[in-house]
Amino acid sequence: MFSLLYGLWKYLFTKTEFHVLILGIDKAGKTTFLEKLKSIYLNMESLPPDRIVPTVGLNIGRIEVSNTKLVFWDLGGQPGLRSIWEKYYEEAHAVVFVIDAASPSRFEDSKSSLEKVLRNDDLQGAPLLILANKQQDLAEAVSADELDRYLDLKKLDERVYMFEAVSAYDGLGIKESVEWLVEVMERSKRTEMLRVRAGVTGPASA
Amino acid sequence: MGILFTRMFSSLFGNKEARILVLGLDNAGKTTILYRLQMGEVVSTIPTIGFNVETVQYNNIKFQVWDLGGQTSIRPYWRCYFPNTQAIIYVVDSSDTDRLVIAKEEFHAILEEEELKGAVVLIFANKQDLPGALDDAAITEALELHKIKSRQWAIFKTSAIKGEGLFEGLDWLSNTLKSGGG
Repeated sequence: MFSLLYGLWKYLFTKTEFHVLILGIDKAGKTTFLEKLKSIYLNMESLPPDRIVPTVGLNIGRIEVSNTKLVFWDLGGQPGLRSIWEKYYEEAHAVVFVIDAASPSRFEDSKSSLEKVLRNDDLQGAPLLILANKQQDLAEAVSADELDRYLDLKKLDERVYMFEAVSAYDGLGIKESVEWLVEVMERSKRTEMLRVRAGVTGPASA
Repeated sequence: MGILFTRMFSSLFGNKEARILVLGLDNAGKTTILYRLQMGEVVSTIPTIGFNVETVQYNNIKFQVWDLGGQTSIRPYWRCYFPNTQAIIYVVDSSDTDRLVIAKEEFHAILEEEELKGAVVLIFANKQDLPGALDDAAITEALELHKIKSRQWAIFKTSAIKGEGLFEGLDWLSNTLKSGGG
């Protein structure tokens, strides 16, 4: 009886910690996105974009939104470093894939890189948020819809996904992005799967 | 170089005492790196407890260096140097492929230390000037850096002898510590 109640209590009150991977090719704006996110949610000064150097490792951002803890993992996107991405897949609840919407010449590279990510079984069922970044370059940047049409992703099947136009530079679309992530992660099957694996079981199985 | 360093790290920690540990197997190039940075006199001490710690005091930041590996009996004493450590700089001889496994094991063992949980990690894939040196991606793989999931890390290709890559790495370090660390 106690263990039943304890299981229920634990289920109701353990704050879920969601892991969100930030992926994308080099120069897409992943770290700038993370820095903006940190400045919005943690109320701290972010690194000015011109101080941000290419990531050759892992940057981390921890924020809390409506009683949910989010941990963002930002990994380097240079070709030689992309092999490390998959080492983080198993523990990820969702993926944010950042694309420089103002650089059409690199869309093909983004598309093949994203398709490779989606083929990996370790990310099965993980919600996907595709960001059409650098919207501050009004003359150059394509819209979220245009990017969707261009990428023409076939592998999405039953995956929950969304395209969002953002500017990591001035903050456009960032709150919407985070709200969407929290909402879909809270009810995704993958979250349930990761929860079971971590040993925090739901009331039905306690 | 000393001036650049002043600009990067002054006021980073306010008046707080801070510590940066420079670790790695023997002969990885740790001391050469400290000399390259020209921040001050490298003081070598061999305390009675029996391991050699080199210290550079730079404003309120202490850089402390010692060799990992070898004698297990003195290891508990390492802990004297752990409190208030903001960062670990791990130096690897990228050409010493025979000892990469040991370098990996020592690295992950030190990261397990409770008092170092909050420290960010900067890896120098050093001795890039030597033939057969592995690049940053290969060292990332060999050290299994992907196992680090709860703190920030970065790897840089360096040649301490030529002075290459060191400041790029320290630049990352100061930016990371400034924006809240791990």
